[in-house]
Amino acid sequence: MTIAARANSLSKIYGDGDTRVTALDAVDVEIGAQQFTAIMGPSGSGKSTLMHCLAGLDSVTSGQVWIGDTELSSLSDKELTRLRRDSVGFVFQAFNLVPTLSAIENITLPMDIAGRKADPAWLDTVIDTVGLRDRLSHRPSELSGGQQQRVACARALASRPTIVFADEPTGNLDSKSGAEVLGFLRRSVDEFKQTIVMVTHDPNAASYADRVLFLADGRVVDEMFSPTSASVLERMKAFDTARA
Amino acid sequence: MFRAALRSLGQHRVRLLLTLLAVVVGVAFVAGTFIFTDSLKQSFDALFSAPQADVTISADSQFASGGQGGGPGSGADQTPTIPVSLLPQVSAVDGVAGAYGMVTATGAIVLDKDGKPVGRAGPPDRAVSWLPDASINALSVSSGQAPQGSNQVALLESTATSAGVGIGDTVTIETSGGQQSYTVTGLVTRGIGGSDGGTLTVFDLPTAQRQMLGNTTTFTSIAVKAMPGVSQNELANRLSKALPGKLKVETGAQRSADIANRLQTAFGFINTFLLAFALIALFVAIFLIFNTFSMLVAQRTRELALLRAVGASRGQVRQSVLAEAAVLGLIAAAIGVLGGIAVSQGLRLLLKVFGADLPSAPLVIQPRTIIVSLILGIGVTLISAYVPARRAASVPPVAAMRDDVSMPAKNLRIRGIIGTVLIVIAALAAYSATRNVNDNMLATRLVGLSAICALIGVIALAPILGRWFIGACGLPLRGNAIGNLAVENGRRNPRRTAATASALAIGLALMSAIGVLAASTKASVAAVVDDTIGADFIVLGANFQPFRPEVFAAVKDTPGTSTVTYTRQIPLAVGDDQGVLTGIQSGKFQQVFNLTMDSGTADNLLPGDAIVDSDTAKRLGISLGQNVPVDYVSGPGFLILRGTYKPAGPITGWISDVQTLTDAGGRELDSAIYVRSAEGSDPTTVKASLDKELAGFPAVKLQDQASLKDQINQQFDRVFGFIYALLALAVIVAFLGIVNTLALSVFERRREVGLLRAVGTSRSQIRRMVVIESVLIALFGALIGLSLGLIYGTLFRKVLESVGISKLAIPTGQIVWFVVLAVVGGIIAALWPAFTASRLDVLKAIASN
Repeated sequence: MTIAARANSLSKIYGDGDTRVTALDAVDVEIGAQQFTAIMGPSGSGKSTLMHCLAGLDSVTSGQVWIGDTELSSLSDKELTRLRRDSVGFVFQAFNLVPTLSAIENITLPMDIAGRKADPAWLDTVIDTVGLRDRLSHRPSELSGGQQQRVACARALASRPTIVFADEPTGNLDSKSGAEVLGFLRRSVDEFKQTIVMVTHDPNAASYADRVLFLADGRVVDEMFSPTSASVLERMKAFDTARA
Repeated sequence: MFRAALRSLGQHRVRLLLTLLAVVVGVAFVAGTFIFTDSLKQSFDALFSAPQADVTISADSQFASGGQGGGPGSGADQTPTIPVSLLPQVSAVDGVAGAYGMVTATGAIVLDKDGKPVGRAGPPDRAVSWLPDASINALSVSSGQAPQGSNQVALLESTATSAGVGIGDTVTIETSGGQQSYTVTGLVTRGIGGSDGGTLTVFDLPTAQRQMLGNTTTFTSIAVKAMPGVSQNELANRLSKALPGKLKVETGAQRSADIANRLQTAFGFINTFLLAFALIALFVAIFLIFNTFSMLVAQRTRELALLRAVGASRGQVRQSVLAEAAVLGLIAAAIGVLGGIAVSQGLRLLLKVFGADLPSAPLVIQPRTIIVSLILGIGVTLISAYVPARRAASVPPVAAMRDDVSMPAKNLRIRGIIGTVLIVIAALAAYSATRNVNDNMLATRLVGLSAICALIGVIALAPILGRWFIGACGLPLRGNAIGNLAVENGRRNPRRTAATASALAIGLALMSAIGVLAASTKASVAAVVDDTIGADFIVLGANFQPFRPEVFAAVKDTPGTSTVTYTRQIPLAVGDDQGVLTGIQSGKFQQVFNLTMDSGTADNLLPGDAIVDSDTAKRLGISLGQNVPVDYVSGPGFLILRGTYKPAGPITGWISDVQTLTDAGGRELDSAIYVRSAEGSDPTTVKASLDKELAGFPAVKLQDQASLKDQINQQFDRVFGFIYALLALAVIVAFLGIVNTLALSVFERRREVGLLRAVGTSRSQIRRMVVIESVLIALFGALIGLSLGLIYGTLFRKVLESVGISKLAIPTGQIVWFVVLAVVGGIIAALWPAFTASRLDVLKAIASN
C-alpha cells in the first residue's frame, strides 16, 4: 500500500506553564493512498488538531509530517500555501464556499487561484457525480446546506489532490443530505481512487470509511478496519466508560 | 480564545479611532474658527487702549480710505491733504493740549542691500511722519531713537529685518521724491503689534512732506491731544465748529472702531470660508460614521437578537446603539475642541505666511465655542448612527437562533427614485441657468441649486451606479480569480461601497470644480492680455506703486522701440460711484493698447474729454457728449464723454488725456509705461537695452506679456492653493473612510479569507484582493466626484462669464493627477487592511463560530 500522508512522532503543545495543553502526544500515523480513513475520538482528543497538522494548516511542535514525499515542517508559508492549493483538498463543517462566487467558480477556485485550467473531463465527472449540473451558476446562498457541502466536495476533488481532508463534513446536515455527501466521498475513493481523511464524531459517518483511527488524549489508541456503525459505537462507548 | 478576544478589541479600537478622527477634524475646524475669531476680537480691545490721538483731523473726502494696494489700479492712490495753515487754527481751539501735523502715505519703497524692493506685491509700502508726543503716538521706538532731519529714518522692526539693516546702517528708500540713502536711527513697533505684512518707514515731518507729498505746505492729517478733563467727543465738537471748510474730525474711539470693523469684515470672510470647509469635513464624516455603525450593528446582529429574545424592546436596542454614538460624539467633540486650539494657532501662522501678521492675542475659548462643538460632534454622530440604530432595532429575536445571520438587504428602489428625481431637478435647474446667464445672481443660484441636487442625487444613486461601475471596471480583472473576487467584494455591499466612495467624491468634486474655475480664470486673463495689450513690454511699479517720471525719460528713446508711452492714474468719483481715471498720451496709447469701442471714439481726446467702459456708462446712465460732473481728490470737475469701450483687461473705468489729470491736481507719477518694439527688432536686444536703462530704478519692473501673465497667475495660484489645501483635508478624511470600510470588511469576512487561505490562496494574493477592491472604490469615488466637478465647474464658469471669466479651460493634467491620486490613495488606504487580512490566522478564521 502506498502512503498518502504520514506523521512521525508528531506532537502539538499549546500554551506554556500552567496553561500547557498537549493536544498531540508523539503520534505516529500513516494514511494509505486510495483509502477512506476516518479519525474519531471524544471532544478534546486531538482529532481536529491531527487533521490540521496533517493538512499543513497548523504548525507542529515536534515530529515530522509528510504529504506524499513532501516533509511539511521545513516548508515556508508560501510553500505550504502552494501545497494546500495543489495537493490538498478541504471540506469543512460549515462556511465552505465563498459567498460571492457561483457554485462552478467555487469548484474551480483553487485552480483559478493557481492560474491553471481545470481538466474538463475530470471536472465533468466530478460535477456529475455530485449531481449539481443544474445548479452550477447559483450562488451559495441559493443552495441548500447539502448542496453546499456537495459543492465543497467537488471543489476538494476538482484539482485531483494527493489527499482530501474533511472536517465533520456532515456535522451540519440532516441525515439524508449527510448520506448523500458520505456516499459521494465513498464513491470518489472506490471509483476515482481518491484518498480521503475525515474527522467525525458520528459512528454512522465513520462506517463509510475503510479504516477508523481512534484518538484519545492526543494519542492514537486504536484502529479498526471495515467498520460498521455498531462496531464503532461499541468502541466509542468504551471511551466513555474508561473516562467514567 | 483570549488572544482572539484581544485582537477583536484591537480591531474595535482602530475602527472607533478612525471614526473619531473624522468628527474630530470637522469639530476642530469649527472650534478653531471660533477661537480664532474670539481671540482676534479680544485683541481689538487692546486697539482701543493703545496710545492714539484724541482727535484726528483730515480732509473730508470720499477718497480718504484709499491705499488698498494690489493690482494695477493701485497706481491711482492719492492721499487727500489739508493745508499747513490749518495747524495754528487747531492749536487755538480751547481744550487742545497739542496739535501735530502728520503725513501718512503709501509709496515708500525700502530697498535691501542688493537694491531689490523689500516686501511683496500686495500690502502697501507705507510711510508716516514721526509724532513727537509719545502719549498719542501709536508707534513707539523699541530701540534707537526717532528720526530727525532729512537723512534719518526709523523702520518698523519687521521691515528692518527684511531689508537686512540695523541701527546705524544706511538704507536706500525710493519715494515719489526720488531715491535717497538714509541712516537708520531707530526701530519702531506698533502699540498693538501686528501688521498687514507691508513695510513701514518713519521720517520726521518735513522729510515726510517732501518725500511723500512733494511739498511742505500740506499734511494728510492733524493729530490733536485733548487737555485733561476735555473728552474726545467734546473736543471733536469744538473743533468741528471752530474750523473752516470740509474737514473730517474723528475721535480716537471712532478710529479704533473703524479699524476693528474693517478687520472684522475682512476676517468675517475668512471665517465663513473656514466654517464652510468644516461643514464639508463633517458632511464627509457622516458617511464614515454611518458605515462604521452599520458594520458594528451587522457584526452584533446575534448579540442584538439575543437582547431582543430576552425581552429588550426595539426602543431599548435602538437607544443602546444611539447611546454608544453619543459617547463617541462626545469624545470626538472634546478632542475636537483641543484640536481647535491647534487649528486657531495654525491659522495665525498661515496668515502670517500670507503676509498678515496679526496682533498677538490671548487664547479665548468662549462657552459658545464648546457648546457648538459638542452639539455638532454629538449631533453629527447621532444623525449618522440613526439609520443603523433603527436597523439594529429591526433585528428579529429569532436571529439569535439562526446560524449564519445577515442583515436583510434593503431594496434600493426608493433610493433610485429619489436619486433620479433629484438628478432631473438638477438638470432642469442647470438648463434654466444657461438660459438666464444674463441675470448673474439668478443664474448663480440656479447652478448652486443644481449642484446640490446633483450631489445628493448622485449620492442616492451611488449604490446602483457603483454596482455598474465596479462591474464594468472589473471586466478586465475578471480573467483571474483574485481580480474576480475583488470585484465581487466591491459589489457585494453596494450601500457601503457607495457611502465610502461618496465621501471621496465630495472632496474631489469640489477640487475639480475649483480646478476648472482656476484654469478658466487664468486662460481668460491670458486671453485678455493677448487681446488688449499691444505693447511688447510694460514697465510697472515693483509693488504696483506709481513711479517717478524720470523712468519714462530714461526709456523713451531706447533703440529698437517704436512707441513708448506712459499712463497715470488718479481716483475719481461720479456721485457715489468711485473709480479710476487713467491718463493717457492720446494717439500713442492706441498703438500699445487695443480698445474696442462700443460707441464714439477714443481718438483726439482733448483735456477734459474722456471715454469710459460701457458697463460704467450704463450703470451711471450717461451718454455721449454729456458733460459729466466728477469729483477729484482736489475738488469737483467735469468730463465730457466722447466714447465707450468694451471693458477688458487691466484698464477699466475712465480714460482721458494726461493733461486732464494734471489739471485735476494729480501728482506727476506714472502708473505704467508701455513699450512697443520697432518692426524687425530683436526682442532680446530690446529687452537688454530696456533693462540697461532701468538699472538705476529698482522700484520698477520690466515685464513682457508672458511675465505679466505669470505674475497675475501667481496671485490666483496663491488663493487657489489655499482652497486646495483645505479641500485636501476632506479628501484625506475620505481616504480614512476607505481604510475604515476595508478594515471592517476584512474583519467581517475573516472566515472567507481563512477559507481562501486554506484552499491555497497566498498572502500576497489576499493583499492584492483587498488593494484592488480599495482602488475600485476610490476610482468610483473619483469618477462621480470628477464628473460632478467638471460639469459644475463648467456651469459656474458659464454664469461667471459676465464677470470676466470669458474662456473655458479644463485642467486635463490636473484631472489626470486626481485620478492618479485616487488610485495611489486607494492603494495606501488598503495597505493596513490588506496586511491584516493576509496575516489572519487560517485556523482561527475557519474555526470561528
